[in-house]
Amino acid sequence: MTAIDGHTADRAEEALPTGYLDTAHPLETRFGDPDDPDNPVGFAAFLRADERGELLPAGRSLLDTYQLGAEFVPAAHGGRLRQADELAQTLRPVFRRDAALGLGHGAIKLIASATVWSTASTDHQRWLAQVLLRGGQAAGAYTELASGHDLTRSTVRATRDGTQYRLTGSKEVINNVNRADSVTLLARTGDGSGSRDHSLLLLDMSTVRRDRLRFLPRFRTAGLRAVHLGGVEFLDCPVPASAVVGELGGALETVLRAFQVTKATLTAATVGCFDTQLRMVTRFALERRLYHRSVAELPHVRSVLANAYADLLISDCLSSTVCRALHVLPGQTAVYAPATKYLVPLLIQESVDQLATVLGARSFLREGPYGIFQKHLRDLPVASLAHSGATVCQATVIPQLPRLARRSWLSGQQPAPASLFRLGAPLPELDFRRLEIAAGAEDSLLAVLPDAAAELRADPELGPLSARLVTELAALKASCTALAPRNRTPLAEPIGFELAERYSILLAASACLGVWRHNQDHPNPFLRDTAWLALALRRLTARLGLPVPPGSATAEQRVFTELVTRERENRSFDLAGRLLA
Amino acid sequence: MTTTTISSTTEIRDWLRERVAFYLERPIEEIDSAARLVEYGLDSLYALTLCGDIEDEFDITVPPTLAWDFPSVNAIAEQLHDQISEQRLADR
Amino acid sequence: MRYGPYAAAARLDERLGDPQDDGRLFSYARCAALDEGEEFPLEICRELDFLGLPRAYVPVEYGGTLLGYDEALQLMRVVARRDLTVAIGHGKTFLGAVSVWTSGDAEQARRLGAEIAGGTIVSWGLTERDHGSDLLAGEVRAVPGPDGSGYRLSGEKWLINNATRGHQLCVLARTDTSGGPRGFSILLVDRRTLDPASHRPLPAVALHGIRGADISGVAFTDAAVPATALVGTEGGGLEIVLKSLQLTRTLCASLSLGAADQALGLAVDYANERHNFGRPLVDLPQTRRLLTESYADLLLAEAVTLVAGRAINALTGELSVSSAITKYFVPTLVDRMFPRLAKVLGSRALLVGDTYRHGRFQKVQRDHRIVGIFDGSTMVNLHSLVNQFPALVRGYRRGRVDLAGLQAAATLEEPLGAFDRTRLELVSRPGSSPVQALPLAVEELCELAEAGEVGTVVGTLATELRAATDRLIEQMAGHRPTALDVPAEVFALAESYAACFAAAAAIQLWLRNRKAFGSDELRHSGLQNSELRHSELWYSGLWLEAALTRALALVDPTLRTELSGEVFDRLAVPLFAQHASGRLLSLLPYPGEEESA
Ligand SMILES: Cc1cc2nc3c(=O)[nH]c(=O)nc-3n(C[C@H](O)[C@H](O)[C@H](O)COP(=O)(O)OP(=O)(O)OC[C@H]3O[C@@H](n4cnc5c(N)ncnc54)[C@H](O)[C@@H]3O)c2cc1C
Ligand SMILES: Cc1cc2nc3c(=O)[nH]c(=O)nc-3n(C[C@H](O)[C@H](O)[C@H](O)COP(=O)(O)OP(=O)(O)OC[C@H]3O[C@@H](n4cnc5c(N)ncnc54)[C@H](O)[C@@H]3O)c2cc1C
Repeated sequence: MTAIDGHTADRAEEALPTGYLDTAHPLETRFGDPDDPDNPVGFAAFLRADERGELLPAGRSLLDTYQLGAEFVPAAHGGRLRQADELAQTLRPVFRRDAALGLGHGAIKLIASATVWSTASTDHQRWLAQVLLRGGQAAGAYTELASGHDLTRSTVRATRDGTQYRLTGSKEVINNVNRADSVTLLARTGDGSGSRDHSLLLLDMSTVRRDRLRFLPRFRTAGLRAVHLGGVEFLDCPVPASAVVGELGGALETVLRAFQVTKATLTAATVGCFDTQLRMVTRFALERRLYHRSVAELPHVRSVLANAYADLLISDCLSSTVCRALHVLPGQTAVYAPATKYLVPLLIQESVDQLATVLGARSFLREGPYGIFQKHLRDLPVASLAHSGATVCQATVIPQLPRLARRSWLSGQQPAPASLFRLGAPLPELDFRRLEIAAGAEDSLLAVLPDAAAELRADPELGPLSARLVTELAALKASCTALAPRNRTPLAEPIGFELAERYSILLAASACLGVWRHNQDHPNPFLRDTAWLALALRRLTARLGLPVPPGSATAEQRVFTELVTRERENRSFDLAGRLLA
Repeated sequence: MTTTTISSTTEIRDWLRERVAFYLERPIEEIDSAARLVEYGLDSLYALTLCGDIEDEFDITVPPTLAWDFPSVNAIAEQLHDQISEQRLADR
Repeated sequence: MRYGPYAAAARLDERLGDPQDDGRLFSYARCAALDEGEEFPLEICRELDFLGLPRAYVPVEYGGTLLGYDEALQLMRVVARRDLTVAIGHGKTFLGAVSVWTSGDAEQARRLGAEIAGGTIVSWGLTERDHGSDLLAGEVRAVPGPDGSGYRLSGEKWLINNATRGHQLCVLARTDTSGGPRGFSILLVDRRTLDPASHRPLPAVALHGIRGADISGVAFTDAAVPATALVGTEGGGLEIVLKSLQLTRTLCASLSLGAADQALGLAVDYANERHNFGRPLVDLPQTRRLLTESYADLLLAEAVTLVAGRAINALTGELSVSSAITKYFVPTLVDRMFPRLAKVLGSRALLVGDTYRHGRFQKVQRDHRIVGIFDGSTMVNLHSLVNQFPALVRGYRRGRVDLAGLQAAATLEEPLGAFDRTRLELVSRPGSSPVQALPLAVEELCELAEAGEVGTVVGTLATELRAATDRLIEQMAGHRPTALDVPAEVFALAESYAACFAAAAAIQLWLRNRKAFGSDELRHSGLQNSELRHSELWYSGLWLEAALTRALALVDPTLRTELSGEVFDRLAVPLFAQHASGRLLSLLPYPGEEESA
């Protein structure tokens, strides 16, 4: 089964860069075979470091040698940050092995710096770029334990005093804060509870007066045990007025912009953890013998594995597309990024729970060849919460839906351009300042769904599936348009949250359709084939609680076969299917 | 629905009060045009949606942070009136 | 009404003291520290010994206090509610001994009973490194001793709870080299009397949860075991294990209930303390929903457990069905509760240590994962249901119901008859009475709804359930039995059937006890105690409506979107009232300190 002819329209597009797929990512190569028990940066070493609660020193120096810090610095400032989807691809080899290292010695630098890149303060940007380029540590002290994501209620205060600000109050559960060279601090500079009462300050920690600063004891979490979570308390601590980044009172706006980048990138990076877990269970099923056969021969085990693989592909389609949307559709990612950060961790978590029922007792052991499974199991929810939990992401999506419903959905909206979906294809450099803090009236990613459905009408398998999803989109449109006003606020009844979830699922379906139709020149026939797409759409349909139109039984089989092939050929399970170490 | 003539500040203000009352599900009389929106519990994120409504109603583009910078109905109304007048002048 | 097992449980709880008090042996603080240090909770287990808990593992006829399994369940729940490592580490002795209760001779059982009452630890060795669920692949073998008496035991059992600490070990061993269903036997091996050279413990494994538990193994090399070690008959091993598992799988639900008690309690606490958007979290509708849905799940799980627990005595012949369902359904429901409640707790669900409540949430979430794995995993239990489809279809179509048994299982006021082990069956020939009584029960509910004694919604939900069950039974009938190649969709049917059972059990429980717990008199008596609060749950079928709403969505997931969630909002009142009173979150009034005395 191959593509319907219409898709060849994308031939006009530049050829996909694919040569690199048969080589391992340079970071993969440096890390080497994770299963080798003697590898100083293999699974066994990471497990031991997790037990000790420390970031594996060999892992840290590997990343330092690679100058990972440069990945988070925009090219304009001398770094290597050009494309968000590329950054996620670079982080995946790290997350595949250890999310603690990936976050604590990697992505945290993006969380700490994205806010600075989102402002116009070039001096601060230059300074922070230097810190990161020379391998320094950056922390982002945004939240407080008592107010969490509700940044408008955070209390650390910066009071103007001549040429200085005086800081008071404390920030808790802050990654790397007591080892940081730079700290991006969110502090109250106004008295109200409004949105212009907070500002960002960039602190050079080497100059902050130590007698006015206390470091809080370490916080520990069940997962990411190796990550250093600390806290700081400011005791009427003076800092120069020039520390203010961006506009006074502009913190919230900046954060809303910057966190779209971190949400999308981090979510896409965690697909690496999921890859490892799926790989472990696939191997277990192939190797373990039961009732005179391999576990993988049990039909339901094959089904669990194939469906988990479909979930992985859905996760990659959505998160990578949204990473690219930061470049292509910067006016729309204010809704895409939180939708992704909500749905993908949920998909992964539920899928991994299913995988655990196959791995059985081994999913519960911290040792042996599958010990990494439970580590990732603990790590993922922590990594997902790290800078915005599920509820908060839903709450960000909800208020944006009614207008999109009214103005865009099924209302002649042009679908997103092909460039959004072209795997690994170059894009204009990431421009943080073009991101809008609220989605406008356009939703071109979702518009891919009805557009593709119309084109697929004749396909016996994809036709009914996508038609069903379009019907659901019409229902969603009606519900969102009619959403009672109170349900668009934090006090929303569960219906608001339900609609945000349904929206995210349809968005994922659109991303899958977009990736499939716009990569029909991909060298891997599996990606051009309909099997994975059919299975993915069925998963999403079931997740919506809808009856799933009967489909071909071979789709699942073909997806399973690809899974086993990739495991045997040592290729990543994600869309790229790149060679591993 | 878009307006062809320039709305007066009062018209804009009444329309805004109606929107705020709608979001809060309270009678319009209870909405004080001078009060800060946050005091009504219109959280910063949700204030962003008001801007979408404004754009759709008056067929103009406003910064999404409008309600942050002009935090009361009165302040928004005045700002809007100025902006609409300027735009209509330019369009002429 | 006061339910006996709950009163017994409350007494145990009271004697264990306030778990928030660090000075108590069985405190949250100590359990957290032991977990972090991977230490066995020795002193807590000893305390449980002092309090006489081991005697509850021994049937009365063998010198203990175990009469009704419903009581054993509630006692275990009390322990699990504080700490799963302790519950699993201590309660294992029941699992170790159960083969003797179901199949040993009286003398052997009395002797073991006396040992256990005195603190002897018994473990159960089924699993081997290369063989988990596939018991017939076991390689540990027992050959006749050189002089023809007794056995020589060789091989490794691995992943065995208390394998190192245990004094006695019930081992499943191959006694016929060719294996097969009659090729295995159970030996009760007293390790204290073995030649030390003939056995050695295998190191404890590092675990994801219950980190302090002793999960290790034992390797035998030609260990001489006396003939008296044989439990039941030679070759009877597999049958003994399968029958014994029917008891233990049902009892595992107590672990899940205890875990759910902890998690939901923590989440409600936090939702009351924490303010967001200027108001307490409990006032945010979405947060309330996350809590009340979990509460509904807890009540549904409790209802299933109450009925299935009493069914051990009352519907013994159907245990192969009810135990498999309970062991699949309850742990799965509870596992799914954690992510939901974790949303309420935010970062507090993940923090370890003293920052928030000794990191209890993440601990109980980790600990509970084992419940779905050991003692027959989720898949094994579902598979065992699939194997019984023909009887379940037949039983439903014929409307076959053991009325007396069902009545006894569901009526809490009715004293339970003695457990009769000879009624245990490998497969339930009559099918499952609760499900098969569904058409009758639904009629009864609809009549009550018409009479205004129960909300009309309950009648509607029950009717939908009936229709969904009819459809399901037809689908089950369409499955041609196969030994191993069970298609994935068929497992989904088994899951749906389990949810039908849960709903049916809930209906029975409500019908048979509504007068006792939800009468009008109680409602209007002006009482301000726990009974009144429970009366609100029972009166007009509030909890049943919620439980049916949850169950129906599991029976047929495509119904989910049509079901209204409004009932959960009404559930908030009893949930918060129960929680505020500091009592167990439960269907039944749980006596407080003053009341249980
Ligand atoms: C903490 C802990 C304590 C334990 N305590 C004890 C103890 O005290 N005594 C003891 O004997 N054992 C004990 N066990 C072992 C435990 O009971 C087994 O691990 C369990 O029965 C499952 O076996 P397995 O994980 O080896 O999976 P396997 O049996 O190898 O199965 C692998 C997978 O195959 C699939 N599968 C298996 N059977 C079927 C089937 N019939 N139908 C469909 N799919 C199937 C499942 O997905 C399963 O997960 C313990 C384990 C742990 C982790
Ligand atoms: C590993 C890790 C690393 C971290 N690193 C950093 C760091 O480097 N810098 C930093 O600043 N912070 C960091 N944090 C802190 C993190 O950002 C906070 O934990 C986060 O803000 C969550 O806060 P909270 O748990 O208090 O919950 P919140 O998200 O504030 O929510 C509290 C409760 O409110 C509920 N809620 C929120 N909105 C709604 C709504 N609309 N309706 C209903 N309910 C709602 C939530 O469900 C939850 O129950 C880190 C955390 C972790 C776990």
